Amino acid sequence: MDFALSEEQEMFRGYLRKYLDDAGQTKVAREFIKGEMHALKNSLAGLAELGCTGINISERYGGLGLGALDLVPVFEEIGRALLPGVYLETMALVVPLLEKYGSEEQKEKYLSEIASGSKNVTLAWAEPRKSYNPDEIACFAREEEGALVIDGMKSLVPDGELADTYLLLVRTSEGTGGDGLSLVLIDGTDDIEMRTQKCVDETKHLAEMTFREVKVSKRQLLGSINHGWSILQEGLLYLNAALSSIMVGGMEKIVEMSTEYAKIREQFGQPIGRFQAIKHRIVDMKLELETARSLSYYANWSLESEEKDRKAAIFSARAFTTEAYIRVASHNIQIHGGIGFTEEMDCQLYLKRARYFENYLGSTSHYNEQIALAMGW
Amino acid sequence: MDFTITKREEDFRQELRAWLEENLPDGWLEGNRELPKEKDKYSEFLRNWQNTLYEGGWTAIAWPKKYGGRDATLMEEIIYHQEMVRVQAPPLVNYIGIHMVGPTLIQNGTEEQKEQYIKKILTGEQVWCQGYSEPNAGSDLAAIQSSAVRDGDRWILNGQKVWTSFGHLADRCFLLARTSHNSEKKHKGITAFLLDMNQSGVETKPIVQMDGRQEFNEVYLTDAVAYDSEIVGDVDEGWRVMIALMLHERTGIGAEMFTLEKQFNDMVEMAKEFRVNDKPLLKDPFVRQKMADFYARSRGSLLNYYRNLTNTLKRGKPGPESSIDKLLVSELTKEMAGFIMSIQGHNGVLWKEDAPVDTYWQDNFLGSFGQTIGGGTSEVQRNTIGERVLGLPKDMGR
Ligand SMILES: Cc1cc2nc3c(=O)[nH]c(=O)nc-3n(C[C@H](O)[C@H](O)[C@H](O)COP(=O)(O)OP(=O)(O)OC[C@H]3O[C@@H](n4cnc5c(N)ncnc54)[C@H](O)[C@@H]3O)c2cc1C
Repeated sequence: MDFALSEEQEMFRGYLRKYLDDAGQTKVAREFIKGEMHALKNSLAGLAELGCTGINISERYGGLGLGALDLVPVFEEIGRALLPGVYLETMALVVPLLEKYGSEEQKEKYLSEIASGSKNVTLAWAEPRKSYNPDEIACFAREEEGALVIDGMKSLVPDGELADTYLLLVRTSEGTGGDGLSLVLIDGTDDIEMRTQKCVDETKHLAEMTFREVKVSKRQLLGSINHGWSILQEGLLYLNAALSSIMVGGMEKIVEMSTEYAKIREQFGQPIGRFQAIKHRIVDMKLELETARSLSYYANWSLESEEKDRKAAIFSARAFTTEAYIRVASHNIQIHGGIGFTEEMDCQLYLKRARYFENYLGSTSHYNEQIALAMGW
Repeated sequence: MDFTITKREEDFRQELRAWLEENLPDGWLEGNRELPKEKDKYSEFLRNWQNTLYEGGWTAIAWPKKYGGRDATLMEEIIYHQEMVRVQAPPLVNYIGIHMVGPTLIQNGTEEQKEQYIKKILTGEQVWCQGYSEPNAGSDLAAIQSSAVRDGDRWILNGQKVWTSFGHLADRCFLLARTSHNSEKKHKGITAFLLDMNQSGVETKPIVQMDGRQEFNEVYLTDAVAYDSEIVGDVDEGWRVMIALMLHERTGIGAEMFTLEKQFNDMVEMAKEFRVNDKPLLKDPFVRQKMADFYARSRGSLLNYYRNLTNTLKRGKPGPESSIDKLLVSELTKEMAGFIMSIQGHNGVLWKEDAPVDTYWQDNFLGSFGQTIGGGTSEVQRNTIGERVLGLPKDMGR
């Protein structure tokens, strides 16, 4: 038994960390908040150069042909630096789905451009004031002469403005419980109206998209028509495993911040880390981090291993880590005292990111129920 | 990352399984797991079980072959614990002898000591206990006051020990006593004795635990006698020996992890069968949510243990992270046991033969408090992790 990332994976992490540290860690996110995209563009280009955009893409399309576990260091480091963008959606949802269900034409068109870092894809699922329940998908595509004509709205699209292409969940026929839904790859065009939505996590630019008679070729369907829901479910396994890694990266940074601060900040003539109220809280944060990391490693491992507890492993990583991230991010602010409440410190950025992920593509209670179902309860 | 186990390890598991099926006490596998109530019968039963293990070559598997072990690898030890938990094997009455005292003697003992004790530890002929804690020395173990004073070739021991597990069944005690009061540091001046429990100067009084059992004891030393030959290591250097002894306990947390895993699975079974308002408990949305959360946390703890184990295998020795495992598993066990009692509703307070499902749950709940206290309290574990894993400043007064 060997429950650790390989030496190569850890070495790669080392390069990435150095690269993102040199870029100023959360400085990129802070520039983004101010509306300056330059630093982000540079960092994303740098990650592409390091090969991050090709890791899980087949060699035929210019990728490295590696697996989900090889993405773990990248996701952890991105989570640590709070890097904005749609790397998660592109690499952990769209790539595996294209690899599994994409037509040859789609693979050629998208995978090589993703691998080279010149294309980003995001997910357009939710609709204004609606839940993630499939019955509530109203955005409709009707068939017309080999094309699909789309009408409707999408909301909360992660970084809609940064993406070049959208994986759209649309209704293609009546049905309940996911029947009659399809996934379509839509390249950004002027036909799509886009409005940026304000997000509590300002490192995220969400978008509301309006489709009025937007026409796309049927060849853009991912998988067969009316079967998009089950394909999306498979994609969500990849996405949630990766999301857990992003959150672990954030949690790791938080525990480090708290520990460092507790060593240097003195009150009553001694470092506050000597007070057990502080020390023990940081230890509890560490326990949450280590548990989350173990769950997320195993989740990413199980993706490609066809283990029978694959779903339970991934959903439990997602559910536990989401809650734990919120807890540690909140404690971190408390441990920093007054300065922790300021805009200047990074503490707040992590808390906001944690709350962003809390209900991202499903709530904790939703995922707990998925665990229960996966266990056959 | 690779979770597969080798062919050799799988063979080991099968060999042990087959042996257990042959050799567990009659009716055990069918669920008849009553242990005798009366002390002597209880002692005899457990000693017999240990001797059966010995004869099959299944005690002290991690010990060197030369001393009657199997040179088992860490993974084999893990499998061993898994299998013992799986069949809910009878408790190992000489746990302390096998996992702590024996290995310490093999490493630090004199030839005479090895000659005299090792074999008897294996067979269960000599059961051991640990005499550390005293009324005024619990978490602060170096505060012990029990004294040993030299008198010719003998040492005269006086004082009181407390919470001595298995003390009422034990023949020998690995005991710490103060032999010098003049040291600058209070953990200097302590000596480790291999005390004979069967003498008039040693009196054992069982303490009734909150779960109704009597497994730990008060031990009174009144001019008890020990000889030079019963000292491990050097006089005044017992602290070092004791720390080394604790390191020998390399997989004990694993046994608790697998027990937690088993309890989780048993909880699911209970929640399928136990009905409230004519509906299985497991269908209750609140129960499902909580159980899913427990699934994540108990899996997480076990996986975390595997991850630390991987480190241990790579480094060749355990690190302070084992405190993380101890803290996670004991706290989670306690929380889960409390949850199970609470979902049994108002009937959950019924105990023993009146328990709504099985008194196992009520017993587990009560027993779980021992886990967050024994072997170092959760607070002390947090100090260890904070200081030795995270490098935070040391607690005042230590
Ligand atoms: C089931 C069981 C079996 C045991 N078996 C044995 C045995 O075989 N042999 C043996 O020698 N002992 C044994 N013990 C004793 C055990 O090791 C002690 O109970 C334990 O170390 C705590 O000591 P104490 O009971 O004196 O509590 P105290 O040390 O008095 O602690 C009381 C409270 O104060 C807290 N506290 C103490 N110091 C600190 C600190 N520095 N920082 C923060 N909080 C602190 C503790 O966490 C606890 O909450 C056993 C105990 C149990 C419960």
